[in-house]
Amino acid sequence: MTAIDTAPAAPVARRPRSSKRRARAGRLFVAPNLIAVTVFMLFPLAFSLYMSFHNWDVFNPAKFVGLSNYNSLFTGDPLFSIALRNTVVYTVGTVAPTILISLVVAGFLNRKLKGIGVFRTIVFLPLAVSSAVMAVVWQFVFNTHNGLLNIMLGWVGIGPIPWLVEPKWAMTSLCIASVWRSVPFATVILLAAMQGVPETLYEAARLDGAGELRQFTSITVPLIRSALSFVVVISIIHAFQAFDLVYVLTGRNGGPETSTYVLGIMLFQHAFAFLEFGYASALAWVMFAILLVLTVIQLRMGRRRTDQEERSWA
Amino acid sequence: MGAASLALSPTACSSDDDDALTFFFAANPDEADARLRVVEAFQRTHPDIKVRTLLSGPDALQHVSIYCAGGKCPDVMMAWDFTYSGLADRGVLLDLNTMLARDTSFAAKLRSDSIESLYETFSFNGGQYAFPEQWSGTCLYYNKQLFAEAGVRPPPGRWDEPWSFGEFLDTARALTKRDSSGRVSQWGFVDSWSPYYSAMLFGMNNGVPWSTPRLNPTHLNFDNEAFVEGIQFYADLASKYEVAPNASESQSMSTMGLFSSGRAAMVLGGHWRYQTVVRTKGLDFDVAVLPTGPKGHVAHSNIGTTGLAIAASSPHKQQAWEFVKFATGPIGQTVIGESGLFVPVLRSALESPGFAEAHNRISNLGVLTAGPAHSDGLPITPEWPKIAALLDRNVGPVLRGVRPATSLSDGLSQAIEQLLRAA
Repeated sequence: MTAIDTAPAAPVARRPRSSKRRARAGRLFVAPNLIAVTVFMLFPLAFSLYMSFHNWDVFNPAKFVGLSNYNSLFTGDPLFSIALRNTVVYTVGTVAPTILISLVVAGFLNRKLKGIGVFRTIVFLPLAVSSAVMAVVWQFVFNTHNGLLNIMLGWVGIGPIPWLVEPKWAMTSLCIASVWRSVPFATVILLAAMQGVPETLYEAARLDGAGELRQFTSITVPLIRSALSFVVVISIIHAFQAFDLVYVLTGRNGGPETSTYVLGIMLFQHAFAFLEFGYASALAWVMFAILLVLTVIQLRMGRRRTDQEERSWA
Repeated sequence: MGAASLALSPTACSSDDDDALTFFFAANPDEADARLRVVEAFQRTHPDIKVRTLLSGPDALQHVSIYCAGGKCPDVMMAWDFTYSGLADRGVLLDLNTMLARDTSFAAKLRSDSIESLYETFSFNGGQYAFPEQWSGTCLYYNKQLFAEAGVRPPPGRWDEPWSFGEFLDTARALTKRDSSGRVSQWGFVDSWSPYYSAMLFGMNNGVPWSTPRLNPTHLNFDNEAFVEGIQFYADLASKYEVAPNASESQSMSTMGLFSSGRAAMVLGGHWRYQTVVRTKGLDFDVAVLPTGPKGHVAHSNIGTTGLAIAASSPHKQQAWEFVKFATGPIGQTVIGESGLFVPVLRSALESPGFAEAHNRISNLGVLTAGPAHSDGLPITPEWPKIAALLDRNVGPVLRGVRPATSLSDGLSQAIEQLLRAA
């Protein structure tokens, strides 16, 4: 501030020209990105909204049907409620364990121990693996008779579990694989936030006799709340859009039966197997609306909590 | 290999041969080679027509839809019995009757040499949307050595010599072996096709067609007692009689792997498995017909067939017509038969010495040569993708043995009927 206030004034006549030039240069610099965003994001978004009011099978011209696609989705399609329920189960089954495990792992990795860098690298490795490859590996892990998981359970006397064969186990398997994939990303964010917590707070807490657990719950967690909130929002969005992992692990129909039939699979099936692009677009916008509502609620709750905390400190 | 000179292109983006005829097909590397041989033979006789091949990804319907949505429908495309009607219904495919009307001598030759039921597979709503080019119905492969060691009579090798579900079960039981811990070391029967479809095939071999009528059906026979009985028999092979692996047991090794390694005595599969079996060192095998249920009289395979179609929007219709005529006519069919990779669909090619020579490892050649004529049709409806999804959801519990096949009479049967009525 001071630097600006005390800086010698630039010649008045030259300022508008140079700022105009800089603004033009700025626009030119962002133009390529702006064009890409328009072509690859804004146009598809607008087009899918337009298509959600039409019947379109790719081959024939789209036919306007008004709100019919939305009506069928909410009133005439029993699979929508199944897909929604499965998606909610998958989201809860993925996000809750992901947050808990990531907090613990990040807390552990935040310690200043010898060789911690090696552990950090190992924990972050799954981030580098594509979902499809990961799902194929998990297929081997979940193999009923020769899979790694059942072999290990066999050591403690638990009989073979038909992970991907029985509908009641398929969703659990999916959540396990999904948690394994999600933990590294969440850990990266939480660890970065934890490293920003001032060491002096821990020292003061230690002087007051607080143990490790108390320090974690009373200092670390409250001070990384905004990062935690970000991780929750992103994890919910990711889980809600689940497709690739399900497609490879339990098949294009979200089987066995409808046990892993989530909204992402339903969308893909209607668009690319049934060629009902209008219906699939309507479903995509319903998913967007649900996520938007969830995110807004979450952000408001987070803001309210922050306001309360600020008031209590004041 | 001369065929190697024709490059396989997974995408359509070459500008220098925009006037070339595009040919879209799905194939594994071996099959692609056989298709290229047909293309090469065509180019020798039609040097003025350039052909550019487009190899499909794993989902052919999705792949071709993307081409067509982008305004680049391939001129000639492979058509599948189950899915072509969806494309025909949307006006994507050319009615080949319009071309046949102008080429009466070829029409007469094709008719007389074709197998009626296969030809009819691509007749839809009064049009002819493709000509069949290969039969991919199923039969049984059996390990002759395992049969001989167990002292079990081999299954029949002619479609007019049926064997019953009971005889099949006895054979499978005699060939299923367990080790001292009770774990199966050799299965009597394994299935390398899609279990849902195989179950329907057993229903069909109990004397009931899959659907009524076959083309544009209004009803699928999941409420027919005999059809359901056939499905139940198939499901019981794994869940009750334990002569076939269940879904968990076949996770560790592919069913073809079990057969090739001598750990299964019989496998259900189509001709597309022939190369896998023939290349397995030390495997002495032959082919046999499928068993017939108590209410069936004659053994049947299924009309699994692919054909060649022309895009209605093709700017090269005449060249495309020449290619389709060649590939589905006597010369192309003979090339296909000689490759040993496909079963041709013209009688002349089926009976050709080249086809017999390509299959000299088996004695029961009649299973393949008479297979197309002893096949019954699968339902042909534009609604098939939705029906397949319904089957996937409903037949699973029956195959796992947690629900009886009679349960299909209510939910599945009604859901399909509703779907067909709404179409």
